[in-house]
This record gives sequence, C-alpha cells and structure tokens, in this order.
Amino acid sequence: MRYIQDCEVVTHDQAAPSHWRMRLRSEDIARAAKPGQFCMVEVAETLSPFLRRPMCFSEIHDDGFTLLYKIEGEGTRLLSQRVPGQTCSIQGPLGNGFPIVPEIPRHIIVSGGIGVAPFPALAQALTDACGRPPEVVLAARNRELLLCAEQFESFGCTVYLATDDGSAGKKAYAAQMLERLAPDPGTRIYACGPMVMMSATAAVAAQAGASCLVSLEAQMACGDGTCLSCVVEAKEEREGEKMVRVCVDGPVFDAALIDWEAHSTAYDL
Amino acid sequence: MTSDAATLAVNLGGLRMKNPVTVASGTFGYGEEYGRYFDVARLGAVTTKSISLKPRAGNKPPRLAETPAGLLNAIGLQNVGVERFLSQKVPYLRKCNATIIANIYGHSPEEYAALARRLEAEGAADAIEANLSCPNVHDARSARGAVLVSQDCQAITEYTRAIREATRLPLYIKLTPNVMNIQEPALAAEAAGADGVCLINTLLGMAINPETRKPRLANIVGGLSGPAIRPVAVKMVWDAARVLRIPIIGTGGITDAASAIEFLLAGATAISVGSMSFRQPDAALRIVDGIAEYLKRHQIADVNQLIGAMKP
Repeated sequence: MRYIQDCEVVTHDQAAPSHWRMRLRSEDIARAAKPGQFCMVEVAETLSPFLRRPMCFSEIHDDGFTLLYKIEGEGTRLLSQRVPGQTCSIQGPLGNGFPIVPEIPRHIIVSGGIGVAPFPALAQALTDACGRPPEVVLAARNRELLLCAEQFESFGCTVYLATDDGSAGKKAYAAQMLERLAPDPGTRIYACGPMVMMSATAAVAAQAGASCLVSLEAQMACGDGTCLSCVVEAKEEREGEKMVRVCVDGPVFDAALIDWEAHSTAYDL
Repeated sequence: MTSDAATLAVNLGGLRMKNPVTVASGTFGYGEEYGRYFDVARLGAVTTKSISLKPRAGNKPPRLAETPAGLLNAIGLQNVGVERFLSQKVPYLRKCNATIIANIYGHSPEEYAALARRLEAEGAADAIEANLSCPNVHDARSARGAVLVSQDCQAITEYTRAIREATRLPLYIKLTPNVMNIQEPALAAEAAGADGVCLINTLLGMAINPETRKPRLANIVGGLSGPAIRPVAVKMVWDAARVLRIPIIGTGGITDAASAIEFLLAGATAISVGSMSFRQPDAALRIVDGIAEYLKRHQIADVNQLIGAMKP
C-alpha cells in the first residue's frame, strides 16, 4: 500500500551544519514502511521548485517516521523552514527496502556522511530480528558530520568511528575501517554513502566473499518507475534491460549487480 | 462531481473520449504505475510511453535536471519494445477498460507504419500518437538533416502518409515546438492525413553546473517541461488552431483545471497532463473533476463550448 498524505511536522531540528531531522506523523505510512524504503517529499507548495525530493525513512515509529536530510539546494533549503504544526505532503512508502535475514551470522552497517540516513531504522530492525545488534562503521568528513552515533549505541551496536580528517575516531575511510573488521563469507554488509565510498566498500566485500547491499541515491522525478530518470547501469542485462531504476528496482541493490565504473562516471560529477 | 458525464465527452479526430483529459507520453509509464493511486480508466485516455519495435536502453544518466518551475530530461526513449508492450503492458490497460492512445517511435516511416499496423492488428490501441519530435535521441534525424523529423515539413508528410496507409485508427502527430512557425508542420501533418496533432513536445534546453563546469545532463541537451513552458504551449496551440481543421491535443505545463482550460480556450479539443503527474500522481484525475466543477460554476452545458472560446 502506498499513500499520498499531508503529514503533520512533529519536530524539526538541526542535526549538524546543513543537516536536519524532521519527524512527521502518519500511522498509515509508518505501518507500511520498511527500513531502506523511501518517500517523495513535497518541498514547496508553489510550483517552483517543482519536483518532490526522494528521502529514505531514517526512523520508523508507531505514529510516524523521521527523515534525516542534508540541504543540497533550493528545495531542501525551503523544506528546512517548515516548523512543527505545519504539514508536508508525503508520497510513500516507495522502493524495495533492505531484506532482513536473521540466519546470516554477522551484520555490518557501513555509513558515509548523510548516507547514515536509512540506518537507524535498519539497525533497530536487525536488532529485533536477530536478537543482537549489528556492528556499525560510521564515517564522515569530520566530527560534526558523524550523525546518529547515540542512536546506534542505544540499540547496543558497537560503533566504529572514522573521519577523513581524524577529528573523531580513526583517521580512515569507511571501506578501510570495514577491512579492519575482517568480514568473511558469513557477513552481510549494508552500505550507503558517496558513490566512491560504496564502490570501495563493495570491493572490500567482494574480496572477503561477504554479501553486500547498497542503498543508492539518484535524482528522480516520480519515485514510481515512470520517469526513468534515476537509472543506473547494471553489470548484466536482466530481461533484456541493462538499466535498473533506483526507485522501483532499488534503492537497495546487491552491490555485485552494479556497474560501479559506469555509475561513478555518471554521478560523481 | 461529474454528475453528467456526457457534458465532458469530446471527439478527438474519431476517438470518443469520456472527458478531454489524457496524460503526456513518457510521464505516465504504461498506466499501471499510477493505477496504484487511482482508476486510470476514468481518464479520457491513457497515452503510453513511446514504444519502438525493439527495446531501447535510453541515454546514460544523469537524465534529469530540475530548473525553475520545470525540469530538463534526456531519457532517450528507454522502453520495453512492442513485443513486451503487447504481452505485459496492454493487458492491464484493457482489463481496467482504459482508452489507449499508443505513442510510437521509429527510425523510419516504415518502422512507424509497422508499429501502427501491429498495434491495430493486436487490438492494443484505440488511437496512435506518432512521436516525431523527441529531442533526446540521436537517431531521430530526417534524411534531409533536420535535427527532428517534425522540424522538416517534407519529412512530416512522408512519415504521416506512411503511418496513415498502415492504420485506420485515429492518428495524431506529436510535434516539436522548436520551429520558426508551428502552423507549417501542423498543416503538413493535416494534409498528409493525420486526425489530430499534439502540441507541444518539450522545448530544447540545457543546464550547466558552474562549480564543476559540466553539463547537468549526460546528453548535454534535454527537453524542458513543466509550468515554465506553459505560456509557450498555449500560444502554439492558439497559433495552430487558427489554421487547422483537425483537433489539437494541448500539452505543456498543465498543473490544474484552470491551466487545462487555458488550452481548451486557446483551441485544444483535449489536453494532456505531463510532468505534473510526477509531482502529484492523481493530478490528471483532479483535473477531470476540476473541469466538471468549472463547467457547473459557469453554467456551461458542454465542454465543447470551451474549445477555442477565448474572448477577443
């Protein structure tokens, strides 16, 4: 089931410079939503900016959900001005979400920057389903941009911090931290972050024989599979199609399916 | 709200539509995608994504860039091809009793004709819309070197005649606005046997990221749609309506009933909702209801009374 609802803004706080956390009320969407799925957020009531913005569910509550987003342009800047009590039109849930397989012995979340957004919900779901929390590699450019650490710790996760500048945790990239955790074929890795970070993480996973799921981000107009804007190139054709749509075939993909070379050229402009 | 549905019906060059509202090709998938939000059979017709003889992978990403009150796209006609269209997409639209305008794209008059013939033989379309105006495919040049077939009146004549000979279904030609005078290609389509024209396809445009100095689209150039282009589209419909005898499907930046009615007043017989479905999946249905409300409020018995009824 998917909905288009005007949801009440419950709380809306700045989480870091240019990063905001907005809690919205909707029992319907919360009931239907799974970790790794996303929604399309109307950022303006006027016709410019015109398109909704895709944002994943960061936390899923009984009576609503929380979005964690970074101001990237005019749309997200306008969105950040919404105050509690106002409403925001939300379309969702959309996309496939993360599969939860408790039989897999070891689960490691690998997050880079705002790529942390879907992981509080996933960490909670994995903790509930497996009876023990996943490990978390939390990486960002600097200390200020390490988000959600307390949330992961509240689930009991062991959190490995890494920053590009060494201002908190190890001075290392996410994929390097993952390598130190020695993943093996009994490990499933969940990655979200900049393209270069996911590509490197996928390479570490492949080397270790671990399975790796990535949650991709792309510009999209519809979120529903019609506009065909958000495609990424797959390594092989499926049913005669080489392009997969982030919105309906993803946003969560097996890292082995993605043509990382083509993808980084396309999106890390 | 549509208490008397008959007041909304229009005849689009031989196709009876229960209301004048359809959707623009490429913004509504194959109908099923938005069937999750509302009964698509309530629309006057569902116009499908362009279908080609063989599946097309489309252009490299990025394919989308948002611009003021609109968007640039360079999808490149990615589609499932006619065989999968027939086996996987048409059954849904037929099952829910939707009226189907099948949009087709080919590399030559013969390919368009083959598509039209096949769709008619399979009972897979109630009307054909030939896309002679996609700005995003590099194989869309006519023999005389025009960038788009519909920038070349002689090519329009050849293509339209070929499709006309292949099918008895109502045939609409979708034209590009990227021309000096829209009346010429519109008249060429009419003279070659089209039952209607669809105005307008996207306006050519581009956007550059000043930080990286790179184009925002991998294709560099794309097609601009959305509310930003509406006044251009209304004007082109008005221009064409003054010289054509065949009906016009007006499209370009329609967001609500008021903007749909603008197109009817300018001379369109039907309208199609394009990019707005991305923003609001049930926008087209809201427009059907909104037009009915408008007619009631203005005590107009029949929507046909609005066509070309702009006051001087």
